[in-house]
Amino acid sequence: VIPIGWTIALSAIVFCIGVAGVLVRRNALVIFMSIELMLNAANLAFVAFAQQLH
Amino acid sequence: MVPYLFVGFGALLVATALMVVLHKNAVTSALFLVLAFCSLAGIYLLLQAEFIGMVQIIVYAGAIMVLFLFVIMYLNLQHDVEHGAHIALRRGIGWMVAALMLLFATLLMRRGWATGPVSAVLPEQAGGNAAAIGRVLYSRFLFPFEVTSMLLLVAMVGAIVLTKGRRGAEEERS
Repeated sequence: VIPIGWTIALSAIVFCIGVAGVLVRRNALVIFMSIELMLNAANLAFVAFAQQLH
Repeated sequence: MVPYLFVGFGALLVATALMVVLHKNAVTSALFLVLAFCSLAGIYLLLQAEFIGMVQIIVYAGAIMVLFLFVIMYLNLQHDVEHGAHIALRRGIGWMVAALMLLFATLLMRRGWATGPVSAVLPEQAGGNAAAIGRVLYSRFLFPFEVTSMLLLVAMVGAIVLTKGRRGAEEERS
């Protein structure tokens, strides 16, 4: 079983990459893609917490 | 075996996410985003969330990415529109904010936030999580589920009506 800390760390890294993308890029489509990355990082955190509660 | 797979998928996810942000061409970064979503689906499978993993493949890597690529190719938004001296400053600020957020997350994790022991243990769900989600969705949450489907139907019909109306007005004008 994977420790929850790894999953949360991965989620934080992906979220930060998404934040950097939103702030750095000027292309609207790429900004939307970065927002999708952030949403997926949040989903990963939810799944990690669900696994811990299970 | 599972931790090695997790590290592999995680490294692939971080690398492809970085490529999404760093690559100049919008189509290439969209294709890297597909790879990122697929590796995220692999991580969901490793976390024993099979339903979420399959939905990730179907909805994100399928529907949403087709939408992105269609918009990119339809509008021909291939390149960044960046010129001027303030772009470098803006880039620096962006990476600095991201690094600060990562530092903040690291500090929170070092303090054991949300990673400590669980107080209450939920009852075990038999028969995989797809079966559990289906059982709950069609019994206890049936009404919100139907309301959501009506909302999506109204949004779809509204989008069709709005775009048809605009095209009709343009034709009348010309």
